[in-house]
Amino acid sequence: MDEGTVLPVLVCFRLLLAVLPLPGQHILKHDHQINSPLTSYLRLKEGLWMLDNNVDPYMGGSFHHSPLLLSVFSTILPPIPIIWAVSDAVGAWALLRIWRARQGLSLHRATTSTAESLIVSAYILNPYLLFPSLALSTSTFENSFTLLTLMFASEGKPSSALLAIAFTINLSPYSILLLLPILMLLVTSPASQLASPRPFHGSINRIASLFGEFMLYWLVLVGAACIIADGSWSWMKASWGASLTLPDLTPNPGLWWYFFTEMFDHFRPFFLMVFSVHLVIYILPVCIKFQHDPLYAAFLLIGVLGTFKAYLTLADPGLFLSMISLFPEVHGYLRHPIVTTLLHLHAALLLPLQHILWVSEGRGNANFYYAASLVMGMAGGAGLVDACWAGMRIALGDVKVESEGKGQVARWEVARWEVAQE
Amino acid sequence: MLRASVWISLAYLLTPSLSLENYKEDLRVQPLRDGRVSTAFSFVTVLDGVVPRNPTALEQPDESQHYALFPLTLGQILREYAITELHLTLNAGKWNYDDWGHPLEASVRTGAELWAWMGASEVTTVDERWSGLRNALSGLFCASLGSLDSRRTTSPVVAFPLSGSTPPFAQHELRHASLPSENVCTENLTPFLKLLPCKSRAGLAALLNPQKVFDADWHGMGVHVIWKEGTGVELKLTLQAVFNPARSSAGKRRDWSLQSLFDRSIERSCPVASSSSVSVVLPEEVNYQITPQIAHVEGSAIYDLSSSSNSTIPSNIAMHWPSEHSFQYPMPPLQPLTPLSVKRTLHGTTQTRGVLSVSITNNSPQEISAGYLEIIPALLTLWMHTLEVETNSEIRSDLLSDLKYQPPSRQPNGHLSPSMVQAVLTIPPKSTLKISVEVNKAFLKYTEHPPDAMRGWELPGAVFFPLPQSANNISSSYDWEMIYTPTLLVDLPTPDFSMPYNVIILSCTLMTLIFGSFFNLLTRKWVVVEIKE
Repeated sequence: MDEGTVLPVLVCFRLLLAVLPLPGQHILKHDHQINSPLTSYLRLKEGLWMLDNNVDPYMGGSFHHSPLLLSVFSTILPPIPIIWAVSDAVGAWALLRIWRARQGLSLHRATTSTAESLIVSAYILNPYLLFPSLALSTSTFENSFTLLTLMFASEGKPSSALLAIAFTINLSPYSILLLLPILMLLVTSPASQLASPRPFHGSINRIASLFGEFMLYWLVLVGAACIIADGSWSWMKASWGASLTLPDLTPNPGLWWYFFTEMFDHFRPFFLMVFSVHLVIYILPVCIKFQHDPLYAAFLLIGVLGTFKAYLTLADPGLFLSMISLFPEVHGYLRHPIVTTLLHLHAALLLPLQHILWVSEGRGNANFYYAASLVMGMAGGAGLVDACWAGMRIALGDVKVESEGKGQVARWEVARWEVAQE
Repeated sequence: MLRASVWISLAYLLTPSLSLENYKEDLRVQPLRDGRVSTAFSFVTVLDGVVPRNPTALEQPDESQHYALFPLTLGQILREYAITELHLTLNAGKWNYDDWGHPLEASVRTGAELWAWMGASEVTTVDERWSGLRNALSGLFCASLGSLDSRRTTSPVVAFPLSGSTPPFAQHELRHASLPSENVCTENLTPFLKLLPCKSRAGLAALLNPQKVFDADWHGMGVHVIWKEGTGVELKLTLQAVFNPARSSAGKRRDWSLQSLFDRSIERSCPVASSSSVSVVLPEEVNYQITPQIAHVEGSAIYDLSSSSNSTIPSNIAMHWPSEHSFQYPMPPLQPLTPLSVKRTLHGTTQTRGVLSVSITNNSPQEISAGYLEIIPALLTLWMHTLEVETNSEIRSDLLSDLKYQPPSRQPNGHLSPSMVQAVLTIPPKSTLKISVEVNKAFLKYTEHPPDAMRGWELPGAVFFPLPQSANNISSSYDWEMIYTPTLLVDLPTPDFSMPYNVIILSCTLMTLIFGSFFNLLTRKWVVVEIKE
């Protein structure tokens, strides 16, 4: 196949999947691995039904989607599968543009390389992303918006990027983790600096003014959401509050649900705080360590979200895994890629299996699925540590020096546990 | 015993006539077509000229309460929480409408059901008084009514309207809750009997032998307090039981007598009862014998037991079918006795979701409009967008109108209130209407599960009720009353109850492992060292 046709062919394939009546789609829509209460299509439909029947969707405990999605699907478009296919195509296209910006290639090149076909395939054919999209989970939109944000930021379009991140945060408040690397990316370049670390050279004042611009967009969107939700603030508690207070303990591949199912009631608020703050802790260290390459910092933070966020679905680690294809320079330095791959395979097989054994077959109990979600956590963590290692290891390059005198090859290795004393 | 009744009579005579009190008791026995015998006791005390307490004046001291016949313990609760109307029922078993017809007392919901109309007040809110009422009644009747909290409470005003008059002093509000898993037993009957003026020593209540009543196929008791303008406060204590003589008799015969049903007899009448009677509804067939013989009035034989009447108390009332060797159950198909027959089921094989389906059959040759009320605890989430109404295998959304849906809302104490669906169904003659809606089952915290979590949760039955006559004009020949569907068992997914510590330890270990490895990488300085061999 000609490499230039990969994107169109894959997009056609994805559109075909959307229009064909696939068997098992009903099962996908109910699956806990790919739908969380925050992204489930059923809940979106229920919210639309309540809106049609003059019931406040945010009054009940079942609807957690953003009012923006609600207004789009209730006025402009009905929620039809083709929208999810288009969103996937936009995501793949954005990933491609990020790649071109990072490689310093022309944005509108006619020819396409093998790497680019690989990037597009890694997004559209990634099962962690394809299945949620087929199940019409709104995590597809969150991922596409995240990629659009990174695309605009890489191409140096501040307003578009800030508007896109404001949308992303409105849909999924945890995306606030990505705000700092995106601001840094806007004032520096997306080109790979991993091999040659240097201090941050962007202008801090510019970051402050960009942050002001972001706040403006964000407040406008919050205001719009309030107007859509009939001038009340209740949507904030139902939609953003759900990520912080975990009112729905539906199982998912993440670490929160079983922990808070089994938590003693009087410790619940404390651990909710700990789990939320834990996510925020990563922002500064990652941004400081990777100040020379903010795109890589954003990539690592997406990995953190894909491991630790509340109401995790497979679409979150899926985005991280697909984005690995953007950074071919680090592939050679991954610390234990085989272990990570095997952990992911292991988790991907165990999760649906143990879930069925627990809730459908009744032969297992909740601990079976919990064990599978721990494996998923291990896989996510291993991927994260791997990527972090490779991103720093590349700076040292391949050190192989032939020693003089004895004619023997002395092996030089990178010391892992050497503590920096300064 | 004799002394007690003398004292009661004396007390009755000497009571200052602040309010006139009147006590009536009545037992209705009806042989059913499936060989069972339905018995319904009702004990009515009327406080003449008394008005329910005005809730806006709760701060001021209440007028003193002098009762001769009315139970003081219940009266105090009604005054303390300013209750205008109160209905409490405790039932066990499933009322079989098709074979037994409508019960004499319509409230036959399985388990406990409590609903009260209260005037709104700024002194104490309705919800505060509702909580007080629940706890007071649960103490009085030894029932777990205290658990009828905000997770169970709703306000379905259309299905449960005020049965008496509306007092003029305040805007009235309804609180309704039901607990299907409540088990009704002897400990509930004893306090119930204590509310009667003659206890179980004389009159009809002497028949109430707990060993027999709670052995019945269906049994239930009710307390109904209503206020009628012009009459006063009426307290009606009811007890219904459906016995199965064919099951308990050796020869599988359906013959019954009061002695065989209750293993007790009425020795003397209650001296304070202004009327006391036993009426036996006579079957349509003719091959029976009833003793003692008495003139029939409108298809039933009525025995007057009151002390004022001249007739002697019949020691036993019995009915025989002499020509019948053993009872033969009528062969199906049988025409149901009620115009509507309802079946409600929860389908689905997994513990995470299912389909709630209700099928309502109209047995009459006329179209029937029925109110439909579904109160679902937040254990189940209804997907209202999947609601389908179907008859004769075609979708007929027009048959369901006036749909009102109230999703579960989070209460100040963090609990979710039940969701409530209310609609008007139009059921075409001689056909079946099927309603189905998909449901999701909740995942609860491990502390929210009951100790026997694997048993599942009882889902309260749905209610079908006739609409007020102004809304539709159904001829009286198809008159019907409120219908409760049986409860359903919901199989909820359970977490492991034995390992909260293990989960906390394992999850935290994983998080610290990843956190540790990640920050270990970030905080180290990278240098190249030579490895000496």
